[in-house]
Amino acid sequence: MTRPGDGHESPHDRQGDQAGWAGPSAGGAGPGSAETDPAETGPAETGPAETEPDARFTLANERTFLAWSRTALALVAAGLGVVQLLPPFPGVPVGRHVVGIPLIVLGAVIAVAAYADMTRNQRALRRGQPLPRSVLPRLLAATIGGVATVAAIVVLLSATR
Amino acid sequence: MPSQNQHPPIADPANRTSLAWTRTAVAFAAIGGAMLKVSPVAGCVVLVLSVPIWLVVHRPHTAVASSGRRLRLVTGTVVVVALAALAVAIFGHSPDSLGQLLRGR
Repeated sequence: MTRPGDGHESPHDRQGDQAGWAGPSAGGAGPGSAETDPAETGPAETGPAETEPDARFTLANERTFLAWSRTALALVAAGLGVVQLLPPFPGVPVGRHVVGIPLIVLGAVIAVAAYADMTRNQRALRRGQPLPRSVLPRLLAATIGGVATVAAIVVLLSATR
Repeated sequence: MPSQNQHPPIADPANRTSLAWTRTAVAFAAIGGAMLKVSPVAGCVVLVLSVPIWLVVHRPHTAVASSGRRLRLVTGTVVVVALAALAVAIFGHSPDSLGQLLRGR
């Protein structure tokens, strides 16, 4: 499972460690508890039977979500920093906004997409299905690539004026 | 926080998850502190929002103890922070804000 910054192995990588142990869904109300929430399982559908997954998978899923949330927060901070803290680009008055505002918007989009991703992953875990492919890494890479290109253009424009 | 009588294989992941929540709360507080310099009101809002996220881990028996609700709280808070940052960037009182720049044209 993609987990920027955390460096934890994916639940599937660890599957071999826990053969034969179903994992407690009890064990306190801390972050470790794998409580069933309708928002995580989605609307009732006639599909594969859902069982409570190993709590370690739920915890790994939750950590992945939190890592994406911190990435989103970092993007918002970076966007705000570009807009408010960088000196203006000579000759390109809106240059900082062209670079910073997409980062802030990407932060909001990633926060919502991470929640949707986590919900889908949790549903797949409950059904014993393979984890769905996440669009988040591609979205992040594409947007950061785009913003970097725009930033390079703004810097070149301001240098030539 | 993970309880003392948890099955040993789950205590470690639960601790890691607890630390991840703490890092997230610290990240919120950090961006709130940074925003204080730019916009005191928005910074205060973000700082205050970091408190429930920290409480989620350290007071597990609060009303937000349900996993789904905790995660929605984080998502909603990041979106609120992003909207506040967007508002500061576009409508801020600084002469360099986008609104002022566009009005000046």
